[in-house]
Amino acid sequence: MAALSGQHRLSGQRRLERRWGLLMAVPAILGFAIFTAGPMVASLGLSLTDWQVGGAPSFVGTGNYTALADDELFWKSLSATTYYTLGAVPVSLIVAFVVAMLLNQRVRGLPVWRTIFYLPTLVPAIANVVLWIWIFNPDFGLLNSLLRQGGLPTGMWIYDENLAVPSLIVMSTWAFGNTMVIFLAGLQGVPQHLYEAVSVDGGGPWQRFRHVTVPMMTPTIFYNLVVGVIGTFQVFNQAYVMTEGGPNNATLFYVYYLFRKAFRESEMGYASALAWVLFMIIMIVTFLMFRNARRWVYYEMAGGR
Amino acid sequence: MRRRELLALAGLVPLAAACGNDDDGAAENIQLQFMYWGSTFEQKAVEKMLKAFEQSNAGTKVKPLFTPDEYDVKLNTLVASGNVPDVGYVPMAMSYRLAEQGKLVNLFSYLDKYPQLASYLPDAYLWYGKDQLHGVATANEIELLWYSKAAVAEAGISAPPAQASSAWTWDQLVENAYKLTVDQSGKHPDESGFNAGQVRQFGISSSITYAAAWYGFLRSNGADFADPTGTKCLLDTPEAIEVFQNLQDLIYKHRVAPGPGQLAATGDDVPGTNILLKTKRVAMIVDGHWSLLDMNESKVDYGIGVLPKYDEPFTTSQVAGASAVFAGSKHVEEAIELFAFHIDPRYVDLYEQGLWMPQERKYYEDQAAIDSWTKNDSHPSEFRTAVVDYARDHGVPDLRGRLKNLSAINSDVLTPALQEIETGKRPAAAVLKEVAPKVTSRMQGWHHTQEL
Repeated sequence: MAALSGQHRLSGQRRLERRWGLLMAVPAILGFAIFTAGPMVASLGLSLTDWQVGGAPSFVGTGNYTALADDELFWKSLSATTYYTLGAVPVSLIVAFVVAMLLNQRVRGLPVWRTIFYLPTLVPAIANVVLWIWIFNPDFGLLNSLLRQGGLPTGMWIYDENLAVPSLIVMSTWAFGNTMVIFLAGLQGVPQHLYEAVSVDGGGPWQRFRHVTVPMMTPTIFYNLVVGVIGTFQVFNQAYVMTEGGPNNATLFYVYYLFRKAFRESEMGYASALAWVLFMIIMIVTFLMFRNARRWVYYEMAGGR
Repeated sequence: MRRRELLALAGLVPLAAACGNDDDGAAENIQLQFMYWGSTFEQKAVEKMLKAFEQSNAGTKVKPLFTPDEYDVKLNTLVASGNVPDVGYVPMAMSYRLAEQGKLVNLFSYLDKYPQLASYLPDAYLWYGKDQLHGVATANEIELLWYSKAAVAEAGISAPPAQASSAWTWDQLVENAYKLTVDQSGKHPDESGFNAGQVRQFGISSSITYAAAWYGFLRSNGADFADPTGTKCLLDTPEAIEVFQNLQDLIYKHRVAPGPGQLAATGDDVPGTNILLKTKRVAMIVDGHWSLLDMNESKVDYGIGVLPKYDEPFTTSQVAGASAVFAGSKHVEEAIELFAFHIDPRYVDLYEQGLWMPQERKYYEDQAAIDSWTKNDSHPSEFRTAVVDYARDHGVPDLRGRLKNLSAINSDVLTPALQEIETGKRPAAAVLKEVAPKVTSRMQGWHHTQEL
């Protein structure tokens, strides 16, 4: 402190800015400390105990973590969640990318189209889920009505053990708005002169897409991929509102199982261990994605990789 | 504002709170909290009951904590933060645990002070050890066969019997359900061209995943959920398999009952029995007695029948959550007063309104006492035989108040298996033979019971 103030004292304005800057950031910092960092530390501690709501916690070391290995439902929920993530992330990335490409064309009424495609994202999550319960309704649902009119076989969708997760994957493409907007921003950042260069060399739309759009978009794709994977691993609403984890645990998503353990069965210690395992899984998956990114993500600034 | 002023203000808050506490201590102003769930009609009825308590106990205020959804989640959170209500409903999945953790008052020693609590039906008491009573089932609810009178009249069949002695056999139920099931073009399931995907009116709805709905059938067929020690699951016996196969057949073989999702919602969120009968979406529904309040409130043209039987007729009784007093209460005596009040038909009109069935034995045996809650507009003429007599002579208590660890058994293994039966992918025998050993491995015996 002494050295700092001795060497170069901050000007009045800098001091003022620093003080106010910190003050303005305090709500965010406090919010993070109280509602995120604090509970995280607490849950790490709790995960080493057998705490049940209402009882006194006693230390069990890594007991909860070793118990996970024998927990059939833990593995079931992990596989259901992985299945969902492997389906939902690529499908929504592709849909969002395609729509972003379309919305990047010069068509009439562009702002209207952009609004319409973004609209589902603004629908509150639960309203969205309730809407899809109706779409999937076996008797009166939109989906089966359309299939029936087309003379196609209908399905039980979320009420069928084998179709439940695929149905939810289809549903996940619905709220692609945020991903789409990021893609759109990325697309508009692709330098025009590269497209012109391809045209000069006699390349058509496919070559432009393949050799300019895709490589230039890899950082955006990568970003959406990482955010998508992290978010999708924590899927909860669909299991909670639509399926209650059923039928026969087909949609027993990880966070829903965690919620059930924590708040229905009051096994807070065990649920905390579940939370930390998920945190680790997401960390590792994200780390691997970053490692792998060097091979396919192209950063213009990085001097050609 | 200066920091010092802020601190001074902050200092005042606990002081003010402390003053508030002192006031509470005086007999003038006692504040109790009563936590409960239920339909919106039920919410009003319970609030009225709490008002009645306030009137007969001057100086005591009761704050209703109506919690229609996620009751267990909310209550768990309150327990974790030490802010429990004084009196309230407790789902039985939680009540035994909370009792063992010392979070619920042991009511055993209060039975002398409140003699009306001492003459309950034996199955109403919830024991967690010798002379350790953590509560009672709030009301003696039983499962019944509700039906739409209009639908029955249209089909030209005789109504489901209201006397246990003349209960339909399962085959009679199926036969009548055929006549009550109609698709959009007016065809029945046994007619050619019947479209099972476009059913206008289902004949019957009886839950496969909700134990109270099938436990009576199980017992009626000579089966049971567990052996006498409560440590072996008997769902893989031929008699149990028959019951579940019959339920599955209602949906997929006879096509007279809705499958999963066909009542336009999921899980517990299907429309209420009152709505399903009023709109004639379903003609007959197996559901609890508590539906009576909503039936009357929404003016359904309903009738009440007893459940179909296999051998001896049985229905599940004591299908309710626990009512209990929380140990954290600052006013335990007053809380117990409220506890005794809130389930006493002398003061509470929830019995006359049709929400609850009393727990005191005399309300099933003594004519004047029976009349006191059933002789009114909200109880139809068949109520005496279809409910009062049926409950007294043919009730078998719900498993939730009797079998240890049942909530974990349900969520971990049983419900997923029953969902498999419900979705019709595999016959009941295959599913039950697979799940019974898993249930057995999680069983921990029966809860303690004792005579008073």
